[in-house]
Amino acid sequence: MKSSALRKALGWIGLYGLWTVMIVITIVPIYWMIVVSARSRVELFDAPTLLIKSFYAPNYIKPLTDPVFQRYLINSLIIATSNALLVTILAMLATYALSRWRLPGADNIFFWTITQRMAPPAAFVLPMFLIYTRVFKIGDWTMFDTQFGLILLYCVFNLPFAVWLMKGIMDGVPIELDEAAFVDGANRWTVLTRVVAPLVAPGLAITFILSWIFAWNEYLFAANLTSVNARTITTGLAAFVSVTGTNWGEMAAVATVAILPALIFLVFVQRYIVTGLTFGAVKE
Amino acid sequence: MRSNRAGWALLTPTLVILAIVGFLPFLYVLYVSFFDWNPFSNQLGMKWTGVDNFRRLVFDGAFLDSLWRTGLFAFTTVTIELALGFLLAQTLVKSFPGRTVFRTIYVLPLVMAPIAVGATWRLLTIPGFGPIPYFLDKWFDIDFRLATFADQAFLTVIAMDVWHWTPFVTLTLLAGLTAMPKEPLEQAQVDGANRWQVFRYLTIPMMMPVLLTVIFIRLMDALRIVDEVFMLTSGGPGTATQFIGIHIYRVIVPKTDYGYGSAMSLMVLYFTIVLCWLLFIALAQVGKQRE
Amino acid sequence: MFKHKMTVMFSVLVLLSMVLSACTVAAPAPQPAAPAAESGEASWWRTASQAAGCEGVTIRGVSESTPPSRYAADVLAASFEAETGIKVELEATSWDEMYTKAINDMQAGTGIYDFVYIEQDIIYQYLANDYLTNLTQLLADNPELASPDFDFAKFTSFIDNFKDADGNIYGVPMEAFLKVYLYRLDLFNDPAIQEAFKAQYGYDLAPATTHQQYQDIADFFTQYGKDNDMELWGTTVQGNTGHASSFYEFFESIAPTFGVYNWGINQDNWKASVENGGEMNSDAAKEALAFWVGLLADAPPEATASTWDEVAASFAAGRAAQGWVYGENAAWIATDPERSKVVGNVGVALPPIAEGVMADAESGAGYIGYYDGGAFGLPVSSQNPLCTLLWMQYVGQESVQADWAIAGSRIVMESTYDDPKVQEVDAKVDGYYTLMRESGPLFRGAPPFPFHSALREVVQPFIWKALSGELTPAEALDQAAAAADAELVNLGYGQ
Repeated sequence: MKSSALRKALGWIGLYGLWTVMIVITIVPIYWMIVVSARSRVELFDAPTLLIKSFYAPNYIKPLTDPVFQRYLINSLIIATSNALLVTILAMLATYALSRWRLPGADNIFFWTITQRMAPPAAFVLPMFLIYTRVFKIGDWTMFDTQFGLILLYCVFNLPFAVWLMKGIMDGVPIELDEAAFVDGANRWTVLTRVVAPLVAPGLAITFILSWIFAWNEYLFAANLTSVNARTITTGLAAFVSVTGTNWGEMAAVATVAILPALIFLVFVQRYIVTGLTFGAVKE
Repeated sequence: MRSNRAGWALLTPTLVILAIVGFLPFLYVLYVSFFDWNPFSNQLGMKWTGVDNFRRLVFDGAFLDSLWRTGLFAFTTVTIELALGFLLAQTLVKSFPGRTVFRTIYVLPLVMAPIAVGATWRLLTIPGFGPIPYFLDKWFDIDFRLATFADQAFLTVIAMDVWHWTPFVTLTLLAGLTAMPKEPLEQAQVDGANRWQVFRYLTIPMMMPVLLTVIFIRLMDALRIVDEVFMLTSGGPGTATQFIGIHIYRVIVPKTDYGYGSAMSLMVLYFTIVLCWLLFIALAQVGKQRE
Repeated sequence: MFKHKMTVMFSVLVLLSMVLSACTVAAPAPQPAAPAAESGEASWWRTASQAAGCEGVTIRGVSESTPPSRYAADVLAASFEAETGIKVELEATSWDEMYTKAINDMQAGTGIYDFVYIEQDIIYQYLANDYLTNLTQLLADNPELASPDFDFAKFTSFIDNFKDADGNIYGVPMEAFLKVYLYRLDLFNDPAIQEAFKAQYGYDLAPATTHQQYQDIADFFTQYGKDNDMELWGTTVQGNTGHASSFYEFFESIAPTFGVYNWGINQDNWKASVENGGEMNSDAAKEALAFWVGLLADAPPEATASTWDEVAASFAAGRAAQGWVYGENAAWIATDPERSKVVGNVGVALPPIAEGVMADAESGAGYIGYYDGGAFGLPVSSQNPLCTLLWMQYVGQESVQADWAIAGSRIVMESTYDDPKVQEVDAKVDGYYTLMRESGPLFRGAPPFPFHSALREVVQPFIWKALSGELTPAEALDQAAAAADAELVNLGYGQ
């Protein structure tokens, strides 16, 4: 008895010790960014200290009151949300098809979709540019520099990912449930939306969240396929970094502002992930 | 079961989108890879060279170095992330006071843009005002300058990737662990199996699909890493952290060597596919034997 | 139950993004600043704009996000719109991104951009590809659109960089700087320091004119910083081990002062190595690289992570006693207390040079440093060449130059030097503008290589490896020269 109590205590110490270390490691870089964002330019090279001695507000005020910067933020929000929504819906339909039908070549399709994500991206900038400016061209309108263009493009990165994530979860939903519903007279669509979707909802949530995050964060294509109207916050951040490389304070402030919506979003959806995960005993 | 038509109908939108924004550019890259095409060379326009670009790759030391470096990086990071992620996910399965708080804070890096991650780590490591060089020097007398010492740069990049992506691995594995049916585990405990046996013969096999997915996704992304490393070291010092994604970027973008860069890109894509395919088969085999 | 929550979350986000997207549409465009000439009578600009059918047209450009470009985007674009009714969208972005986008656009002939920033060193690549419109010709063909306030002859000799062999002009200069030698007046003029220096080295402390002096001063101040527990080092080094900036500092600012010009490439047979008639791995080049890499010992620890921006920041933070710094930074380092700790203490001088280099520079055979800058060019693919021509003349007027010079410490016209506002700043920057005016011809831009960036990409890793100590300077340059020879053949030069 005694030894088991001791082991239990050690287990607790180990658990909390581990998590304390992890949390500190996680927090320090982000915290340091905020520390830097609170410094003015002349204070940058002061001896490193983890304390925020004074807060230099212009680092934040300047970008936040800049209409261009505001537009970047709004673009990012629209693009990320629309893309995540699109990807989640398509992935649900696709994985349902892959898991419920023995489609000839399904395995290959499955693998093919995922290879789309494997290519080093730099080589694809020029072809995407040409496709968006030449192929998708209706009169004066082109897909270049539109929010829609980026929403569609990010499917290349997010869909394969979503399909893989959802496939495992979809396979876990027993086919007997479908059949029971059919027996009750439900049609295919009702089964998908009323029976299957609620069961895979945790998967959908994670798919949505991760797609959203990726779309919010993508840089290379956002930089090269937009010009003025559809630019996103990451391109704004990059411009800040390389140009005012010296102005670390303002850069850190912009970075903080750029991750803030994502953080808020995360805190907001955490509850749903939690619900989803504890909802996890879906297979019964 | 039933007609396949409905199945294809559900798949179609996905396939169409991927064909347009994924496959079409791929065809273009394939086409360009057979040409010698650098707009800023003495010979203007594209010149057909057949498979010459691919032949050159085999003898391109810089390319092969970069490939090897990328492999080493991907293998190391994915291994660490998987081990650490599994450990952390297991601690999160059971409820304990503070669990939600820990998890919420812990997944913060996940939402950060790679480019912001790179910038953040750069702020941490710049000599002169970053705390890492300062405290390493003060406490351990280590001269930390990752723009000078190749090993430090490589290790820092690995640390950065682990910091950024372990939360994702943890979260996905946690979802898998939580979704696992409880009966077999309880049954095994009733039968007197110890923890290790449960883990080895029940948890691992049941988690195999999730593990597979995580390994694939992480491996793919680690093999094509660009943004965060570019922000932190720009591939330096020298070429110490010039991973294949950065190498290809340099060949195609600043050097405008479109033909050769496209060939390089396809070669890497091919390697990645083969690697993932082998892994896929091997692990599927292992999974089958277990059953 | 879960589904409901998800539905709620989705709808909230979708609604939010719809509302926000409505906002973007409704968001008012940034209001133009008060028109410069608001008199009701049609100005020349308005008439020309109407004649060319440009009123209400939007022209688009891409440029590097530097203070001069920002000034053009924010101030000049607004007043131009007020005068002509032509809207200018100037996309100011990072250096790398700017090139990718401009080149993609011009290469594909898409016509997204009506004007692009052309840095002095990339113009030859663009000209070789016929990307740019001949502005001399375009003005001659459209005399009714030639502004009386615009004349190519008013620019400094910097405009020569944008001419083809026949003297046709392809760019309207918008910024130009020198990479000069900056030093700390407060340190160099301190009597105690002067005395200590003289005691140690046997000559008076003054801005270095030779490399040995530069080295002595660097050693001295590094030691001085250590002895006095100060965050002070002897020199800056733009030695980033993963960025083109270190390649540029070495080949454009250091090597020429040792008599190695044009990256050490023989322009008769397009060879770099000594064996083939080049100079990239000559003894002088190796001496130059050894000198420069050696300076790292006297540079602050961030030197190997420093691009041009960080060098300026280090100097502005008071962390270096001297250094090669881009002139665009000289003014703010010397005058802006918001950003600099060394306001009023910045001295400007010509860089130290080896024997014979000054004679080369005066005869035109060589140069003592880098003359940096850029212009706006008009891609042939532009959809609105005539409207853009008006814009380019607008930014090339004498009357807009002085304020622009204050905002971005750039000067492209002779007359700007005489402006009282510029002279006032000149006094605060220890005569940087005067130096630029008088000694500018001793400096030169990048050599006219149409393969500029391709060759740079091949050579720079060796410079980085020399800086990180992976290769000795001699090894680095030998390998670099061999790689350059091979790449030049590959690019179709010097078979």
